[in-house]
Formats: sequence, C-alpha cells, structure tokens
Amino acid sequence: MKRSLIIIAALVLFVSFTFDTGNQEKKTVRRVITLDNTPVKRPYSPAIEVNNTLYVSGQIAVDQATGKLVEGKIGEQTLQVLKNLKSVIEKAGYSMENVVKCTVLLSDIAFYSTVNQIYMEFFPKDPPARMAFAVKDLPMGALIEIDAIAAR
Amino acid sequence: MKKIISTLKAPAAIGPYSQAVEANGILFVSGQIPINPDTGKLIEGGIAEQTHQVLRNVGAILNDAGYSFKDVVKSTCLLGDMADFKAMNEVYSVYYPEKQPARAAYAVKGLPMGAMIEIETIAVK
Repeated sequence: MKRSLIIIAALVLFVSFTFDTGNQEKKTVRRVITLDNTPVKRPYSPAIEVNNTLYVSGQIAVDQATGKLVEGKIGEQTLQVLKNLKSVIEKAGYSMENVVKCTVLLSDIAFYSTVNQIYMEFFPKDPPARMAFAVKDLPMGALIEIDAIAAR
Repeated sequence: MKKIISTLKAPAAIGPYSQAVEANGILFVSGQIPINPDTGKLIEGGIAEQTHQVLRNVGAILNDAGYSFKDVVKSTCLLGDMADFKAMNEVYSVYYPEKQPARAAYAVKGLPMGAMIEIETIAVK
C-alpha cells in the first residue's frame, strides 16, 4: 500500500514536472537586473539574465552616489568601472568568476597596460575571453567602458 | 546546429557575413546600418531617421528568425559622433520601451558606407 502510494506520488511529480518543462520551452524567463540608483529614464537595463546567462551593459566610471564620472585618470576610472561591473554582476547573484567575455573600450590605446594591471586584480585566475580596442569617443567623455557576459 | 537567417525585408549583406545566425536558441544579428532594403542604399536624413531605419532592419531580421524586440538581451550601438547619443536614445526607446536589453554604446572612427550609426544585436528565445 505504502509502496503504491509512493509510485503514484512519483508519477504525479513526473507528469507535473514534464508539463512545467513544456511551458518553459515556450517562455524563456527574462530577468531585468536594476540597481537601487539606476536612473529610470534610460533606454537600457544594467543587466538582463536569460537561460543562466547574464548580459551586462557597458559600464563607465560613474560614481553610483553622485551619478558623475569619478575624478582622476585612467587608473581611477578603470577601478571604478570594474567596481560598477562587479556590483551589477553580484546584484544579479553572479560572481566575477562567472564572467566569460568582456569588451574593453578605451578612449586611447595608450591606456592598455595600465588597464590590464587593474583588470587582473578583478580577474586573477582564468580570466574571461576579451576584446579590447580604442574608440573615437565614449559616453560622458569617459576614458574607459567595459561590458560583460557571464554564465553559470 | 547553426541556422543562417536571410530575408529580403532587411538589407542584403554588403560583405562576407550573414544577416543573422541562430544557434541553441541564441540569435546573433549582424551590425545593421541604415540601408533601405529596397534600394540597397543608405537612407537620406539625420541621426533620428538613420536610427529608425537601423531598428526597422533589426526588426525585420528578428521577425524573419521568429524573434521579436522583446527577445533582445544585448545591443551594441556604434555611433559616428558621440553628439548623436541623445537623439539616438530617443528613437531607440521607441523600439525598446520596457525591460530594455543590456547595451554598450560608443563612437567609432568610421562606419561602413559612411553611416552615422550601426547596431549589433543578440536575442535569446
């Protein structure tokens, strides 16, 4: 009697699980990650998660408290960008170790080695795949912007 | 398995690339510039018109692949001039009114055909 009850329970569970999976195939769960101080009027989200993959928007060296670029040169800006990146990633429940790909945009390719030194502190082991290049201009006149894709 | 997306409703590729490629429920849409798919030429107009045309092209490709703007998770907006950022954002918001994709935007030195804007897109279903 006990045994057959267990079998029935298992069957019910199995059927409902299959049904759920069928539903999920039709509708991918899309999660928008926002920070407490994310400006409302902005046509992008700090990050979007789907299927255990996190797409993080390009971060510039904006001080989260003031909404302005931090004072300083490329070193200070790089540190702030990576801190911002980390806070979005951690807000989403991911960690820097989950990052698989970054794009590093520089306003001047001469910043390359300074950026790398700071970047390495945030990705000390098995760093993500990466693309880095100099662009003509970045939003707010920033010196550096970094976007990321993380997966788990 | 990868699937090549090809539609007449968006501009034909102007080089050795596909309009979009889908693999494992992820659609990689090539960078779109404001080409009119009927003429194969850049449209007339400023940044607002160009942004509309780029996003119409993106929409046509998404649609042909069975995706929509709601499935987009990441955009990269390349501008010819950072001064166009605000005007681009206004048009961009029309196509992405809520739950907007993650995005990176920056100005580059030059874009194909002298376009003012190019947008690359990733969608997930």
